[in-house]
Amino acid sequence: MSWLRAALEWQSRAVVGRHLRVYLRNWYTSFLPPALEPLTMLLAFGAGLGGYVASLTWHGRPVDYMTYVAPGLLAYATFMTAIFQSLFGAFIRMRYQKTWEGQLTTQVELAHVVWGEVLWAGLLATMYAVIVSLVLVGLQIAGVLSLDLRWLPALWPASFVAACGFGALGLLFTAIVPTIDHMNLPVFLVVLPMGMLSSTYFPLEHPVLVALNLANPLHHLCQAFRGVLIGGPAAGHLAGALLLSALLLAVLVPLDLRLLRRRVLGD
Amino acid sequence: MPTLLDARGLVKHLGGRRVVDGVDLACESAQIVGLLGPNGAGKTTTLRMLYGFLRPDAGSIHVNGVELGRDLVRAKRAIGVCTQDDTFDGDFTVEQNLSIAAHYFRPRPTALGRRVAELMERFDLVGYARDKPETLSGGYRRRLMIARALVHRPRLLFLDEPTTGLDPQARMGVWDLVDGLRSEGLGIILTTHYMDEAERLSDALAVLARGRVVARGTAKTVLGDLVGEHVVVIDAAQGAAIPGWLSARGRGEPASVLGVWHLPVSGEELAEFARAFPALRYEVRGPTLDDLFLKLSLQP
Repeated sequence: MSWLRAALEWQSRAVVGRHLRVYLRNWYTSFLPPALEPLTMLLAFGAGLGGYVASLTWHGRPVDYMTYVAPGLLAYATFMTAIFQSLFGAFIRMRYQKTWEGQLTTQVELAHVVWGEVLWAGLLATMYAVIVSLVLVGLQIAGVLSLDLRWLPALWPASFVAACGFGALGLLFTAIVPTIDHMNLPVFLVVLPMGMLSSTYFPLEHPVLVALNLANPLHHLCQAFRGVLIGGPAAGHLAGALLLSALLLAVLVPLDLRLLRRRVLGD
Repeated sequence: MPTLLDARGLVKHLGGRRVVDGVDLACESAQIVGLLGPNGAGKTTTLRMLYGFLRPDAGSIHVNGVELGRDLVRAKRAIGVCTQDDTFDGDFTVEQNLSIAAHYFRPRPTALGRRVAELMERFDLVGYARDKPETLSGGYRRRLMIARALVHRPRLLFLDEPTTGLDPQARMGVWDLVDGLRSEGLGIILTTHYMDEAERLSDALAVLARGRVVARGTAKTVLGDLVGEHVVVIDAAQGAAIPGWLSARGRGEPASVLGVWHLPVSGEELAEFARAFPALRYEVRGPTLDDLFLKLSLQP
């Protein structure tokens, strides 16, 4: 279980610290996407598309579409930030910037680089979730949304755990795609279907989608966030999201490590 | 002198092939060991095992008295690595590259600010402190790579082809720096394709071929053992009878470069050659490491 111990060692934190330092140096551009993306999405899906959608029923009570979609956006931001960071960000650092190779000439080992990427995906996605949360608070104050925001900060740790799982999934593709052009394959075959066909933007009713999403941590994260922010059962979905994310980490981090050992070290 | 590196019986298989086959290598304080060999000889794989990048399938490596396989992290604290490719962190400036590298070591380097300033000064990087590394010339990039490998005050430095692609002036600048590091007591393992570099800088050479050390010692002894005392240089067009003369002595075709044969011979063979071909015009010179590489590349 040395791969697991590496998550807690100082070298993994040093790798995360490096990524955080780069990110904070460009904070003014880094913070814009998570602030603007939910606004755009709420405008497009809520005010735009939502105008054509009659109010939805959520656990026996009607909710307007913008209120329905807002918790989904919070979960979706967690998912997309973590996946894209561990997919494109990590690939660029590995292949083009050779940042990994530089780190590996020090006391940092490959397990720390991998955990550093996973934990950084988790941390970055959580920071994005916090910013999206602040946007939701602003929209609530403006009277656009009708959410119960009392437990909003309690969702951030769940975002972190889920994002680490998504990060491990992104790294799997980083380990296997031959070039950056091949990233389209996992993006269009896995990431977008996983994101768009979960319960992010609409309630799942088709039996096939319902069955498939039982294994999708993003679906459970959306439903848990919705349960907390709109009102309704959340514990089961929260447990589902956390368990599936833990499973992703337990299965994928050793696999990522094995594949990346071959790719980066040639071993 | 204390032994900083002691590697014995290193074996490594990659892709089902035995790439390194029982290599022994040692390096002491204030010594530069040149690791030479043609492409595919196993140099890079050997080097990568020595600095902890790859795990050997067999054999042991001790760095500064610590066995790499038992305590990799402690052993790596004593190692500095300058890779062949530029692996500096492009997200940071030249100066920040030195400080960020120090964060990957425990115990942390003491008085880091002073250490970074000292390295910037010594490697003539002060004027580029706030520049991004990719804007530097090739010579200054190499300087940054070596400075970064030294930020945590290692005792053993690995330099993998440190001057490849540099102009002569920049190469000599790097040689001066490397020579200075040796005089301060650093043990240095150097790989290079430049024979003059290996001859000028190395205190000892280890020559690899097909994953094995085929010769070791000073440049002179290595050349004497593997090449011969003299090299006869002769235009291939006028030496039609030479292959037959070689064949009678159980030797194969001589190495040919641009239509000129380079024929290594002992003193005795040189006298025989002069007697056998009194009418030929040829030049006799001392052997170089280029001859060694030509000879190794001709061997099956």
